[in-house]
Amino acid sequence: MQNTSLKQEFLKNWIKGLQLHSSFNKNTTIFERRKAIKLSADIAIASTRNSTTRWSRALIADASRDGSNKTLIEKISGREVPHKASLGLIRCSKRILKRSRFARRRAAPVAGLIAKKLVKSRTRALKRLVPGGEGMDEISLIKETIDYIVSLRVQVDVMGRMATAADRLIPFKTI
Amino acid sequence: MEPPVEETRVQFRSGIRGSNPEEMSFGFLPAHEVVSTQTPSENGGSSFTALLELPPPQAVELLVNEDFRARTAPPIFPSNTVLVDRASKFSVFATAVNSPEVKSVLSASCSMKPDMVKLEPMDSDSHLNSSMPAASDQSPKSLKRKEKEKKVNETNKKSKKVVPNDISEGSGDKLPYIHVRARRGEATDSHSLAERARREKINARMKLLQELVPGCNKVSWTAMVLDEIINHVQALQRQVEFLSMRLAAVNPRNNINLDAFFAEESEPAVDNYHSMFTASMWPERQVSGSRQQYQQLWHLEGHQQPIWAREEDNSNFITTENSLLTFDSSSNSGAMS
Repeated sequence: MQNTSLKQEFLKNWIKGLQLHSSFNKNTTIFERRKAIKLSADIAIASTRNSTTRWSRALIADASRDGSNKTLIEKISGREVPHKASLGLIRCSKRILKRSRFARRRAAPVAGLIAKKLVKSRTRALKRLVPGGEGMDEISLIKETIDYIVSLRVQVDVMGRMATAADRLIPFKTI
Repeated sequence: MEPPVEETRVQFRSGIRGSNPEEMSFGFLPAHEVVSTQTPSENGGSSFTALLELPPPQAVELLVNEDFRARTAPPIFPSNTVLVDRASKFSVFATAVNSPEVKSVLSASCSMKPDMVKLEPMDSDSHLNSSMPAASDQSPKSLKRKEKEKKVNETNKKSKKVVPNDISEGSGDKLPYIHVRARRGEATDSHSLAERARREKINARMKLLQELVPGCNKVSWTAMVLDEIINHVQALQRQVEFLSMRLAAVNPRNNINLDAFFAEESEPAVDNYHSMFTASMWPERQVSGSRQQYQQLWHLEGHQQPIWAREEDNSNFITTENSLLTFDSSSNSGAMS
């Protein structure tokens, strides 16, 4: 019941991308098709955010790194993404992180240190999962994760419905 | 001097969140690096508003009223936006049934003098811009804090500037700063205050995240909560991969008729998706066989080779024209513009 407009927007963007892709090339392999479908879906869900969140910008920037995706991205999102800007941000934050890592080593060993280590390793893992997570401080990381999870859910929901609808079209099944 | 008071405060919260050790925060950046209140500029406000399109319930009006009342009162105790924001976030994912109890909670909490946390401009804006009611988890927190403040003989050592709260819905960029006050026996330098503010922020967001991810409420400790979150995100990403593979194997005939689909305003049910595909299909997809393979794909995370090799046999039946990707755009050009 929630997120209806989000789902619809995602669907529109996604189908735009799929149409564009089909007009381009006819893939013979299932793997290429899967890649194309996933790419369209990812760009579609990222562009529903209109570059307001870091993960969406990072996702689109990653996709636009490959030159062949350019028209796809422009068609779906309707805008050109400045490539250099996002990279600069990431570099800057990494510098701060490195500095802090050295500063912390002087702390006296406490039981809480183990806890901190665990939390730290998990935050690192989360950063790897969320697109564009590497350059974030943990506050915005959590915020981005929340938004990312909701968007992922929308994506999964819409794609799942599409898949079940497509399944229903098969009149008979063969093994 | 600082640790004992901090401990008691943390223990209060432990009633709500389980036992959190003092070092719950990530401790990524040392406090003296984070005194600034500017996050990298991103306005999450519109994103959350778009996400959570709830009609503004009456509780929000109460929220606004409380804020006005707070403003006219002496500025020492403005409203506790953090809790309200947190609570409102919580209730968005619940149903609107919460609103009656929300209203009573709000009126009860009006008389309290909550503790203040300095919020960054940007994220408060994102909370405030969306129209959300406050929920009941605000009350236990504020109650406990009030008791705590009564016990600890309040001496205001330090306070920072307050910019009045502007919670009117859809209001643009008025962003609140909230007091951070040092309690008795606490260090009052700006570092620890900033660090405390930062920790409060992190805790607030973690709470939101916990509510979002299913199964996190039972887990008490940050590392385990993060584990759950990571698992959830990984599972969702895997699902996307899985579904895109599944869709790639589907072979409907071209014509996807989107006109009827987009004419509807309601939530797209599966049947509506069905209407997108017109007749004349090619029944060449091997559904059950490939489904088994998909299940195996689901379980074998790294080992995809054998499954894909098997898929290769099926691909003989899959011709280029019969993929999901080829749409008849002529019928859709009207809809897509």
